[in-house]
Amino acid sequence: MDNGYNNYSSTYSGGGGSGGGFMPGEMNSPSGGKSDYTNATLRPITIKQALDAIQPYPEAPYQIDSAEVASVTFIGQVRNISSQSTNITYKLDDGTGEIEAKQWIDSMTADSMDTDDPNTNSTSNNKNKNQIELNGYARVFGKLKSFGNKRFVGAHCVRPVRDINELHCHLLEASAVHLFFTRGPSTASSGGAGAEGAGGMKGGDSAMGGVSAGDDYGAGKGLPAMSPVAKRVYHLLKTEPQSNEGLHAQLIAAKLSLPMPDVARAGDELLTAGVIFSTVDEHTWAILEF
Amino acid sequence: MSLQTPRILPSHLHAFHSSSTSTNTSGPRSSHTVRILGTVTALRGDTATITCGNHGDVTLILKPDSHLQMGKLVEIVGKVADLEGGGVGIRVLGSMDWGNPADCDYRIYEQVVNATHRLKPIFYDE
Repeated sequence: MDNGYNNYSSTYSGGGGSGGGFMPGEMNSPSGGKSDYTNATLRPITIKQALDAIQPYPEAPYQIDSAEVASVTFIGQVRNISSQSTNITYKLDDGTGEIEAKQWIDSMTADSMDTDDPNTNSTSNNKNKNQIELNGYARVFGKLKSFGNKRFVGAHCVRPVRDINELHCHLLEASAVHLFFTRGPSTASSGGAGAEGAGGMKGGDSAMGGVSAGDDYGAGKGLPAMSPVAKRVYHLLKTEPQSNEGLHAQLIAAKLSLPMPDVARAGDELLTAGVIFSTVDEHTWAILEF
Repeated sequence: MSLQTPRILPSHLHAFHSSSTSTNTSGPRSSHTVRILGTVTALRGDTATITCGNHGDVTLILKPDSHLQMGKLVEIVGKVADLEGGGVGIRVLGSMDWGNPADCDYRIYEQVVNATHRLKPIFYDE
């Protein structure tokens, strides 16, 4: 009786807090819009990537290299500027493709008002400085959108690019992030690219099969592209204290709480890649150091 | 499909020449349009020469409204074309003045060219 009452009260108090209790469900269900706000990453991309980005289902967040993208940034040459009453549409070309970026006027005026206030004298100067020129280069920050079958970028900010090194750097950055998502974290040697990728990692986490974290295997040698399970097995073999006979597949399965067939498959993958080898029997593996 | 303009160095000119790509494509193809970066080192009326770091020179066939200035770093978008005197050059479609060549690290451009041609999936269609 007492017990029952306690139970009741505890569930009750649980329910009491559940103005919040409903929250988690609510947050998850319209996954399209909401996750946008929790995934606050900015990914450097090329226009071709923007055009090739896929949407798993209508209204879903866009995916590039099977990682969700929230905000993107790219640099392109302005091929056309069309000013409407509510927005300015820029057509941009970076050599890999063409896409339109739409910037709503509203935010523009807010921007210029901000800059007006502190130095009223140099307003005209400021305007010239931030003026987007036809055939000049511009950097766009925004989100991928589509209207009908046409893909465009809803731009938060469009600003001119005056330094060609920024353009080149952007293209290399986009390459580095693409490689991060397709081939995994880089080796420690290229710290810059690794750090860059790690920033984008948070967004890709779920898409990458929920592997614990990038740094788990990021510290190790660069593995060839392989499944998340294989990476975990490799990581365990690398870090777990063991004799020179290595570890048995069943032990690995227990340690990682994975079903045996998955571990066996991961083992096959690693064996094929030549990063582990079998020792006393075909299910006991050790890291192949070289 | 939108127009793509691969970034190249002078040594890649032949690979984008119509004779080398006509085998797998027919008719005028966008793949002949390229981008190249160099410093203007000679102006001769309707042709000009740009120097691409230490990768040599490229002859440009200008159009009437291309305004190149000596000593400036320019990015050229153009079609690979045969020159009258033999050899391969670029017929200029558009140019972008990037100002002082000293402000650009040409080695970064070399890396960009390298990366863009290795990572076709994010830069250029085959």
